[in-house]
Amino acid sequence: MTIYSFWIFDRHCECIYHKDFKRPMRQLRPTSALSSTDPKQRNTSGGPPKGSGPLTVDDESKLVFGVVFSLRNMVKKLSGDQESFFSFKTTKYKLHFFETQTNLRFVMVTDTRVDGVRPILEQIYAGLYVEYVVKNPLSPPEHPGGEGVNNELFTLGLDRFLRPLSIFE
Amino acid sequence: MAVRTPRQIGEDVWKTRIEKVNAELVTLTYGSVVAQLCKDFTNDYIQVNEQLDKMGYNIGIRLIEDILARTNSERCRSFKDTAEMISKVGFKIFLNITPAILNWSQDNKQFSLIFDDNPLSDFVELPDDGKAINELWYSNILCGVLRGALEMVQLQVEAKFVSDVLRGDDTTEMRVTLIRVLEDEMPVGDE
Repeated sequence: MTIYSFWIFDRHCECIYHKDFKRPMRQLRPTSALSSTDPKQRNTSGGPPKGSGPLTVDDESKLVFGVVFSLRNMVKKLSGDQESFFSFKTTKYKLHFFETQTNLRFVMVTDTRVDGVRPILEQIYAGLYVEYVVKNPLSPPEHPGGEGVNNELFTLGLDRFLRPLSIFE
Repeated sequence: MAVRTPRQIGEDVWKTRIEKVNAELVTLTYGSVVAQLCKDFTNDYIQVNEQLDKMGYNIGIRLIEDILARTNSERCRSFKDTAEMISKVGFKIFLNITPAILNWSQDNKQFSLIFDDNPLSDFVELPDDGKAINELWYSNILCGVLRGALEMVQLQVEAKFVSDVLRGDDTTEMRVTLIRVLEDEMPVGDE
């Protein structure tokens, strides 16, 4: 079992945090001038590329957000505002979703055998995001323009929290 | 799991998950903030009220995440539920008070919070310049906190004090008005 990637989107629909873990499949093209051999820039999920060539991280973030946002809205339309979806699965990956009441959206992409990621996402929100990002008085409350969460404690904490988990192998 | 009432949630979180600080530390810290603002704005109390509200707003937009993370509660179904959560959970876990909710308007979009006890204004006497007593809302930071916190859960409200025992009124009352429920933001661009 393994985690492929992790994303946070804010209420303005911007990706404010993104981390890739293991990339068995397709490589991504980096958004900036970074070297494309950088292992951090590879990724696995996402939809089909529109044109030719690999996706950029930016493209993928838009695709991931697009799919969770549409699915979430569809679920709400079908069964009421209190309803939310937990995950969906394809032949290659499973995408887990958790949304807070403040419209922060946490997304984790794992392989297909992983279960019960929701409590983990809730813990990331309550134990890491709120503690290190929200309560840091010098960290801006909003992250406009895709500037994102640039917080060492959060990144380290996330790593320390996820690595010992059985789904991280 | 049984559905917990706001009162139970508040009591529970207050007892088990909140680190307490000395109340006088809070009172004196807040007092010195207000005093400094009065000095900075040369006793222009209207400005002071405004600044307190702004500071409260910035606190509120962060504090709401803390409440949600600690209580793990469901989204409120009505503004009445929201009022209960504000009083029995919000004020309970941060200030250990539960202001009474009274005077609902006909359309259920306005209510008052009555503060029997307000830890921010212990020891306080307003300055005797004949102005403060009519202009300064000493605890105005609380209005900002509510406005900021509720905005983050898609409720745009207006909150303001309408009476204060510090001014010689019988009660301390804050009026909260729901202006509108905000829509979810849509992604910009074509994707």
